[in-house]
Amino acid sequence: MRNAVRLVDVLDRMEAGPIIEEEDFDMRLVPETMAELQAKYDISIPPDAPFVPDDDALADRLFEAGLEMAEAIGVLCTDTGRRMLWTRSEILDAIGIAPDHLTVGAFPDAHTEYKRLPEDTRRITIKGGPVGTPSPEHLYVAIQQSYAQEPLVDLMIDGSLETVYGREGRSHSPWEVLLSWHEMEMVLTAVQRAGRPGLGIGCTENSVSEIGELTVTAADRLGPHHWHHVAMISEFKTNYALMTKVAHIHKTGSILHSFYNTIYGGTAGGREGMAIAIVGGCILMQMAYMTTTHSVSPTHPFYGNTTSPDILRAIAPAQQALSRNTHLLNDVVITPVGGPGTKTLLYEVAAQSLLAVSSGAAALIGPRSAAGTEPGHVSGLEARFMAEVAHAAAGMSRAEANRLVAEMVARYKADLDQRPVGKRFDEVYDVVRVQPTEEWLGIYEEVKSELRELGLNLDSAAAHDCVGRSTTV
Amino acid sequence: MPDEKREEALRKELDQVLAAGDTEKGTQIARQALESGLTPTEFFVGIIQPLLYDVGKRFERLEIFLPDLMKAAKVIQTMQREVLEPAILAESGEGSELGTVVIGTCQGDIHDIGKNMVALMLQVNGFRVIDLGTDVSPQNFIDAARKEEADIIGMSSLLTPSMPYMGDLIKRLEGLGLREQYKVIVGGAPVTEAYAERIGADAYGADAVHAVQMCRQLIGLEG
Repeated sequence: MRNAVRLVDVLDRMEAGPIIEEEDFDMRLVPETMAELQAKYDISIPPDAPFVPDDDALADRLFEAGLEMAEAIGVLCTDTGRRMLWTRSEILDAIGIAPDHLTVGAFPDAHTEYKRLPEDTRRITIKGGPVGTPSPEHLYVAIQQSYAQEPLVDLMIDGSLETVYGREGRSHSPWEVLLSWHEMEMVLTAVQRAGRPGLGIGCTENSVSEIGELTVTAADRLGPHHWHHVAMISEFKTNYALMTKVAHIHKTGSILHSFYNTIYGGTAGGREGMAIAIVGGCILMQMAYMTTTHSVSPTHPFYGNTTSPDILRAIAPAQQALSRNTHLLNDVVITPVGGPGTKTLLYEVAAQSLLAVSSGAAALIGPRSAAGTEPGHVSGLEARFMAEVAHAAAGMSRAEANRLVAEMVARYKADLDQRPVGKRFDEVYDVVRVQPTEEWLGIYEEVKSELRELGLNLDSAAAHDCVGRSTTV
Repeated sequence: MPDEKREEALRKELDQVLAAGDTEKGTQIARQALESGLTPTEFFVGIIQPLLYDVGKRFERLEIFLPDLMKAAKVIQTMQREVLEPAILAESGEGSELGTVVIGTCQGDIHDIGKNMVALMLQVNGFRVIDLGTDVSPQNFIDAARKEEADIIGMSSLLTPSMPYMGDLIKRLEGLGLREQYKVIVGGAPVTEAYAERIGADAYGADAVHAVQMCRQLIGLEG
């Protein structure tokens, strides 16, 4: 629930919660709580566990562990040095009244995202885009257009800019104002060129501090019908800059999307700790940010991806825990190590799409190709592929999804530490026509053929999005 | 018991102590080892260093995680502070630390887990680490390096718009005539070796394990 009373209550807790040293929070409270809850709720995800478990009891125990974690740890505001805490009853009240569907964008391109259950036949929402990956300035419009023009992309998410007017941008400076304006101007051009002027845009990706968001989130700029982003710092931390964004987005009546990237092997620990952190983190974003949608992107500490086998094994049960026990709109971000022009990228995207769809995610975000760190190594074709695989998996059993995910993981696992970043956008797309090259299309078709041979029906009506689409007019 | 077997037994015992984070037991073992005739250097090089190498490798393979690394770091730091440092000072008047690293996340960026991993790995490998936290301006890095008489300044950035502050620090060191006094290492997800070279950094750390190797090289040791 979002209203002025709740916002002021959150800010009050930020100023009056119990004081804790940040080091004590990071190094003692978080790891000790995780270890304690893992034992208490008997959370075990062995290294050879299925990628997509079919174990509702595990999912429900994970939910209880995450709920207790949210209550025990809360969110640390690093500027006030205080923890925002909520009781179990307050948490259950808040997540009980959170929305189970949300319309984003404007006529004629508005799209409604719905809560889904594991093995749900309802189509998943596709939020295509490079998710903050820096892009060369001269390619930015074409890159965003390559996503916006894909019919299966329901909502778009922006990349960030490598430079502004040819200069290096700097966070928390006047340059951030220019970067954010540049993003706004170019992304609005991209959706116009794609013929989808009302497409809901995930922004502001150049707002590293609060400055960018304050600059461009307004009715006459990137308006309230777009989805505006606020991060929760890993693990379970926020600060004045992020809370300033929250207050501004709230007061402008805009859609608030929050995200949290727990780190594999960080203070939350391994597979089990990550799974608890995903559940607890989503609950805490709902409490601290009054968010309407949220995403998780558990990150590998060395590769920066979300597709490593151990990470997949944490995402699936955590997603099932949230889907079975709440109606929160929870999205999964796909961050492969592979980049455009590689089969690795497509195998990784297929694996995580199948896993998220069958585990009940409300939306898929991305792909953030080449781990989001190689400038311009992104393209709209991988978002098309993500959507096709995801829609073909609607209604799929978790056991069948697990079989296919295992097949995909076997095909890319050995490539992860090679970091095949592939090619830059202008090497895989004709940047004037904004169409993929024959070479990139050929690779995409080859991987689709492999998936068909494995039994994925990519030619069904659902895969082509002929059924289940909702349009708000 | 022959020396080799005794050292092997000591390493096994200490390995369990590091895993448990038992600082008291660690200190006790270090005291006993020195009393039994090992010099502080022999103890550090022969017993601690192979264990630390092993801990680092296990972290690299993600067989252990940050909380495990934190426990090991705590044991080593206590052992160094309470047993090895006083013994070495008594012997030669010099400390046992390899060098001092001032580390932080660049201005405009508040991500700290990657930087924390590097800081811990440096500590468990014998460096003295001054962690300045996040959102650190170039001048604050320099002020801390002067105050702590650092050998190395380490800067981390996860966000492209905070990367320019890395180059700023190097230019500022040059402008102040301090460039030769400090080695500079940079790292973080969007930072590359080519970028490090372009801004004139002395080294690039691809991840926590690699950063330790590079810092060792920067102070003239084998990586």
